[in-house]
Formats: sequence, structure tokens, C-alpha cells
Amino acid sequence: MTVGQYEMASMAKSRRQIVSDKLVLYGALLVISLFAFFPIYWMLVTSLTPAKEVFAFPPRLFPSSLTLDYYRDFFNKPELIRFFRNSVLVSSVTAVGSIIISSYAAYSFSKFRYWGRKSLMFLVLSAQMFPQALLLIALYLMFDSLGLLNSYWAVILAFTTFTLPLCIWMLKSYFDGIPNDLIEAAKVDGANQFQIIHRVLLPIAAPALVSTGLFAFIRGWNDFIYALTLAGPEKMTLPPGLVLFYTGEFQTAWPNLMAASLIVSLPIVVGFLIMQRYIVGGVTAGAVKG
Amino acid sequence: MNCKTRSKFTFVAALVLVAALAVGLVPALAQGKITFTAWSTNEGQSRDVIMAAVDAYSADTGAEIEDVSYPYNEYLNQVLLQARGGNISGVAQLDIAWLAPLAQMGVLKDLGSVAEGVGYTDAALSSGQYEGVQYGLPWTTASIGMVANTQLLEAAGITELPTTIEEFEAALEALKAYDPDVIPYAAMTDTAQLKDIIPWIWTFGGTIIDDEGNVVLDDGAVQAVDWYASLLERGLIAADMDRFDARQLFAQGRVGFYEDAILARSVAAGNEADQALVDGIVSLPRPVLNEGDTPQSLLWGHLLVVFDDDNAEAAAEFAKFLSSDQDTALTYFDALGLPPTTADTLNSDTVQNDEYVKTWSEQVTATARTNPLWPYAESARMESTLNEMVQAVLTGDMSAEDAMAQARDELNDLIG
Repeated sequence: MTVGQYEMASMAKSRRQIVSDKLVLYGALLVISLFAFFPIYWMLVTSLTPAKEVFAFPPRLFPSSLTLDYYRDFFNKPELIRFFRNSVLVSSVTAVGSIIISSYAAYSFSKFRYWGRKSLMFLVLSAQMFPQALLLIALYLMFDSLGLLNSYWAVILAFTTFTLPLCIWMLKSYFDGIPNDLIEAAKVDGANQFQIIHRVLLPIAAPALVSTGLFAFIRGWNDFIYALTLAGPEKMTLPPGLVLFYTGEFQTAWPNLMAASLIVSLPIVVGFLIMQRYIVGGVTAGAVKG
Repeated sequence: MNCKTRSKFTFVAALVLVAALAVGLVPALAQGKITFTAWSTNEGQSRDVIMAAVDAYSADTGAEIEDVSYPYNEYLNQVLLQARGGNISGVAQLDIAWLAPLAQMGVLKDLGSVAEGVGYTDAALSSGQYEGVQYGLPWTTASIGMVANTQLLEAAGITELPTTIEEFEAALEALKAYDPDVIPYAAMTDTAQLKDIIPWIWTFGGTIIDDEGNVVLDDGAVQAVDWYASLLERGLIAADMDRFDARQLFAQGRVGFYEDAILARSVAAGNEADQALVDGIVSLPRPVLNEGDTPQSLLWGHLLVVFDDDNAEAAAEFAKFLSSDQDTALTYFDALGLPPTTADTLNSDTVQNDEYVKTWSEQVTATARTNPLWPYAESARMESTLNEMVQAVLTGDMSAEDAMAQARDELNDLIG
């Protein structure tokens, strides 16, 4: 084999290798995508399938007829729209409240050294480990004695109790990555702690704040049991509202439930799309320390 | 985040907080209203029927009634939690299985005097009693009974409904021979719903708890569980079957027999079964071991209870109206097929002309018994224990004899 022939064979082999690598890569991506998107596809198909066909056996990937009735039904129910508004309100306030409180707490844990700091950090995290049902009864009795049951505050405070631990840890890991020199420089310039956190730290931490806020929003948006128990019929949010409307003693209206679930997922999806730039930055924050 | 973005962020945050304050953060206190807590007030067809009755009562009496709903699967926990906190009043709908835990809390009004002279049947009244006290007014009383798809049975050459276990087994074999894809008897085999074994234990002459409150689970129980496992082994019942699956499969014409509440027929219709199939659904008494034995079934129904507070008298009147007013009960029956609870209404032409309901009431509910585990504080755990032991036999992990012996010990411990 001449040098030229060797080089050509080598290039052909290399091209084959690249093609083969790409095939494996795309194949793997396809499998993962199918795995990830099939439930969403199934939700969509179920929400568009007439009830009679939903339980057809064997199951059909493509229904023979489609209907938008279940989407119309959602928008024709004023109670569901009210639950939707409640969800937006309590999840937004939870997100904003969680950001505000966890910013201060994370700043303290990240930039100050004091006795019991580590124990306190783990104590905060351990709150996340209690079973929700256990906390629920304690919260119910506490809110009852405070006269807060069946109010937005009950739900917001409850949501915030279980979003805070992780929010604090997320922000702390981001703040850890911000050089102390910046804070020292601000102090030299005469800034007090309030100015340092608001004018130095938080502007830098925008991506982390957004991803933390979104995390808190999603936790609040998806919660079922706290909202059902603490909110009362008027202030109830969408997850218990949907169960209330579409599941019963004898039957579950699956197409309605799927249509409603897709509709209520939209704010989260849109939120992700709008804020994805911040979210990627926020989620990876603190992964590599500079 | 630059200054402009930061300002926007602060503005949005402030707006959200102000909105929260503006929408009202203090719970509204309802005074003088009768609160009606139920799950049926939010379920499909029953919602319209019940709310029409509620509105009619309000119009007649001037009573202000506020309805509160919780999903069925979360209902008991919510009511118990609210009762524990003293945050529930008025009338509440209850499944008869749930009376004991609420009655034990001491929050319910004794409705004995309210129920007097109304004409509720004895079976219906007994479903609302706990330790001899009438805590619940019966709203609908029936049983968990057996239904059959006669279309399928006829196709398999079964012309007579089975009355004994021997005939029942023969019918199941015929269905299996007719179409191996058919589930001859969609018996509950999912652990959560294995309480359906109880009437079979009674059928085999077994006792679960005796009059002194001792757990027995004797030879009859062992025989019943053994028989149940043998049906699974022979492919006459299917593994991991729950009520939801059984209903769907029944509506698709793929099940010969299964057990459900009296609403089985309307559930099949709601599951889009063919009209011919719906028309061919019959109720039948549970097959007995020997000719002449009493068919067994579990009592099922809904009650109305009243919380004992200042407004309890008015609430009790509303509960009495809802459960005994003939026009209201017949409308409820027409729309949902739920049997009324007073003798007069049961004897009305509307009910008597419905062969399915008539058979169910006269041949199934008439001999129905309450679940023996319900009166105990630990009834849920007792039921789970029994179910797990039966499941162990079905999966071949234990013999029926060992499983019932272990269940006996554990249930006795739970009774205390």
C-alpha cells in the first residue's frame, strides 16, 4: 500500500467512524426523546380522543377521530378558571417570598462565619426530609389556631416552608462562587450590608434568582395535598381542583383530566422558554468554583 | 441584571405581593349557614341532581346552604382533619364505611329522634348506627353485589344464572372455553381491594370476628381463600385486578361477572358500553355453597351525618329532607339509579318497575351485612392486614391456613 492509498484508507475509516458515532449519538437521542415525550404525546392524544375510544383495546396510538370538547369544557367551567387564578397568585407569591427570604439566608450562610452555622444549614435542609403528611397536620393545627385556614396566606406560608430549604441551598452555592474580594471592595467603598446584598450580590446572582424562583413556583404550582387541605373551597388551587372536578367515586374523566393538565402545564413551559437563559446559568451556578 | 431589569423585577415582585393582599388574605366566616360537605356535589350527573334538591329546599324553607366538596379519594381524611380542628359544621355525606372513625370523635349529633317515624327501612337505618346510636340518616342503601353480562353468558351457552358455587364454577369454565381472552370473573385481586373476600368467607361458613369481638378466621375462611386462589390458578379470575380495570373491561364486553356497587349499570353506560350490553346487565345474588344457604354480600351506601353544634337542628332537618323526601329521592333514583331508603319510596312504581334495582334490593341488599372490621378504630390497618394475607396466598407465598392464622394474630393485636 502506497502512502497515498494508506492516507485515503485512513480518511475513509475516519469518515466511517464519524458516521457511526453520529448514528449512535442520534439513535441514543431518539430513544431518550421517545422516552421523555411519549407521556406528553399520550396526554395530548387522550385529551383529543372521544371518551368511547380512550379505553379501546388494544390501545391505539392514533385515534380514529379527534375532538376539542374537553378543552372547551375546561374553559366553560368558571370554577376551574378561579382555581387557575388562585394557582397563579399563590405560586407567584411563594416564588417571590422564597427568593427574598432565601437570598438573605443564603448570604448569611455563604459569607459569614459564626458558631452553629453548619448545624443550622443542615437543620434547614432536614426540614425537607420530613414526610409532607406529618408537616401537614402540624401546619393545619397551627394555622387553625392562628385563624389562617382557608386563606391564601395558609397556602403561601405552607408552600414557602417546603421551598425554602432547597432555595437557600441553591442560592448559597451560587453566592459561594462570588469572590469575597467583591464584597471587601464594596466595604472599602463604604457600602453597608444592605447595600452589599442589593447592589453587589443580587445583581450578579440574577440567573440563580430566576432559577430558584422558578423552582419555588413549580413546587407551589404542582402541590396537591397542602392546597387541598389548607386552602378551602374558595382558595383551592388547580391540582386539587382538577381532581375534584374530574375524578369521582366511580369514574375518572381521563380525557378532561388530560386536557386540563396540558392547559395548566402551559405557564410552566412558557416560563421555561422565556427564562431558559437564566435557568441554565442558575442551575449550573456553583458547579465550578472560580 | 442591570438597573432597568432590576427595577422591573422589583416592580413585578411588589405587584404580586399587593395582589395577594388585595385578593383577600383573611378567611370569610360564614355565620348561620348550613354547610353541606359532600363529594357527590361535584361529580358529573349527581351534581346537578343534588344541587337542584338543595336549591328547592332553600327556596321552600329560606335556609341558606353552602356546599363544600372534596374529591372522594381524599374525602375522609379531609373531614376527619376538619372535625379534629372543629372546623366543620352542618351536614356531611359519608360512605357507610366511614361512620365509625367520625362517630368515635364525638362530634356527631344523635339523629335517633330525627329518624323516628320517617319510614326508613331497618336495613337502611342500621347502616347509620354506631354502637346502637343513630348517627347517620341513610341517603342511599344498597350493597356490593354481583353483576353479569347476559349477552356474553348467552354467547357462551349459559342460559341460567348460577346459584351455587358449583354452577358458578361451571359458568366460569364455559366462559373461558368460549373465549380465552374473556375474564370469566373479574374478582378483585389487587391488594387494596381484597376486602371482597369477606362475603366469600361468609359463603363458606367462615367467621371473621365473633360476637365477643375476637378474630376467628376459621376453617371457612381458609376454604374460601383456598378456593379464591384455585380460581386464579385455573385462569377463571385474573391477577392484579382492581375495580377500575374490572369496570372498563366489563364495559368492553370482556368480563362475564364482577362485583360492584349498585351503580354498576350506570357506570358501564358511562364507560360507553354498547346499549345492548347495558340492557343485558343483570344483578344476581352471590352463589351459595349449598342450595338453600343465604346469599352473602357487603352492605354499601351513603349516609348524611350532622355535626353537633348550635345549628344542628336546622342541619338535621335538611338531612332528613334530602334522604326521605319522596320526590327528591325518586329524582335521585331516576338520574343515578341509587335506591332510596324509605319503605314508601322503595315500594313506589318507579322503583318497582326497574327489574335490575328490584332484584338487587330484594335479593342482594336484603341479606347484606356490614363489614365486620368497620367498627374498630384500626379498621383501615385491619383491612390492609387481611388483604395482604390473602394476597400472599394468591401469589403462592403462603398456605391459606398459615395466612389466616397470621391474619388472626395480627388482627387481634390491632383490636387490642
